[in-house]
Amino acid sequence: MAEKIKLYDDSKCTACRGCQLACKQWNALTASQTENRGTYQNPPSLAPNTFMLIHFQDYVDDKGNIKWLFRKEACMHCTDAACVTVCPSGALYYNKETKTVGLDHEKCIGCKECVAACPFEIPRYDAKTDKVYKCDMCQSRITSNLEPACVKACPTGALKWGLKETILKTAAKRAKDLGGDATTYGDKYVGGTHFMYVLKEKPAIYADIHKDPSVPWSVTIWKGWLKPLSLLAAGGVLGGAFFHYMIHGPKTPDAPNDGNDAGTTEGGK
Amino acid sequence: MQKGLIQVTDSYERIVHWMLAISCLCLCVTGLGMMFQSFNFLGIIVGGLKNLKLVHNFTGLLFAVSLILAIRMWWKEAGVFVFPEDLDWFKTAGGYLWHVDKVAETGKYNPGQKMFFLTIAAFGVVMILTGLIMWFPTALPTDLVRWMYPLHALGFVVIFAFFFVHLYLGTIGNPGTVPAMITGWMDRGVLKKQHPGWLKEMEHNGTLIVSGEEKKSEAHGHH
Repeated sequence: MAEKIKLYDDSKCTACRGCQLACKQWNALTASQTENRGTYQNPPSLAPNTFMLIHFQDYVDDKGNIKWLFRKEACMHCTDAACVTVCPSGALYYNKETKTVGLDHEKCIGCKECVAACPFEIPRYDAKTDKVYKCDMCQSRITSNLEPACVKACPTGALKWGLKETILKTAAKRAKDLGGDATTYGDKYVGGTHFMYVLKEKPAIYADIHKDPSVPWSVTIWKGWLKPLSLLAAGGVLGGAFFHYMIHGPKTPDAPNDGNDAGTTEGGK
Repeated sequence: MQKGLIQVTDSYERIVHWMLAISCLCLCVTGLGMMFQSFNFLGIIVGGLKNLKLVHNFTGLLFAVSLILAIRMWWKEAGVFVFPEDLDWFKTAGGYLWHVDKVAETGKYNPGQKMFFLTIAAFGVVMILTGLIMWFPTALPTDLVRWMYPLHALGFVVIFAFFFVHLYLGTIGNPGTVPAMITGWMDRGVLKKQHPGWLKEMEHNGTLIVSGEEKKSEAHGHH
């Protein structure tokens, strides 16, 4: 299957949140009771039962103009996904067909290693089930040649699902057409994400956005270096012990009758 | 029991040593089961990887208790270096690497053993602290939690490698030393080779416990 990716264009988004609802519906996620916090952003953050969220932000630029910014937050489906690298059980995996990051809850052991590793802070842990949850790009839909539920629901065309090359071109063109500070986000990070943005403003001004996401160094040192080193070091010791025994030999006691101290020690004499 | 053997460890020491050894090994094996997906099959023994995680976490608590007892028990004899004899021992690498006519006579534990003890103590503490944070990672900021994993892995690299060093030197590398961990009674000839300084000191103080003999007294003739 040709590699497809998802695009979110905040300049076309009206924050109707149809995508949020479609996501809950397709993935059979429950709703949560929330409180009015003086914002339309609801629920307040991603959760085990909320795989995606439209962020609402009042932004005042340096000229005093008020802008209302929206941003869809969900799993970015990294090509080089830290969560897949750290997952001990294989619960998080690259879907071979779609190249997106799948999550097999049967295998999840609730270790939360992905929660700390994700450069986008996406996976959410549910203490009740002792498992982690996140968007799987509607794997059940995209493997059947349907677009993800959120894209299907989007009435304005702010969300698109298409061939990677096409989407990349569309996004670049859209950012150029918008002009000003408009830019793309996602395509340049972690080997390219399978969910990317066109943002009409500089990425840095969006609340809670990850400014320069990358696989954390801690993950590289841990899984890339120390993990193989653990077996290499132990193997090296075993090999070293073998050669030590063969070349230098064990430290054996002196024969009991070799001289003046047969079986006893006379205090330093 | 064979006569003339010398008591080198008491039962408490041996039990703590075994608690530490068994918990440490169990942690290495269960940890490997989670570190490498190719070792995930180790989870089958306990009914799945999730249970392996639980076994690992709770064994960690046993390890923590064992380590605290071990540090309390061995600190005086193995936690501090004594000069100049320990330095002299280092200069000859304890006679382990090249031919040495005379290895410096050190206390009960030679500097190699002290280094091993201190390494296990230090990295053991690292493993316990990082492990506890890994158990409850959502309690602390992500930027801090992230570094617990490579630290835990570093501790494993060191402890796992050192385990094999320890196993070799405690068995075939130094024949006759295994009873120290099992019966506690060691052959005098082995002790004379391995721990001559300690043997002399004990004889001098009259504190040597020899099987088949009454406890030695000052009347033995040393001044």
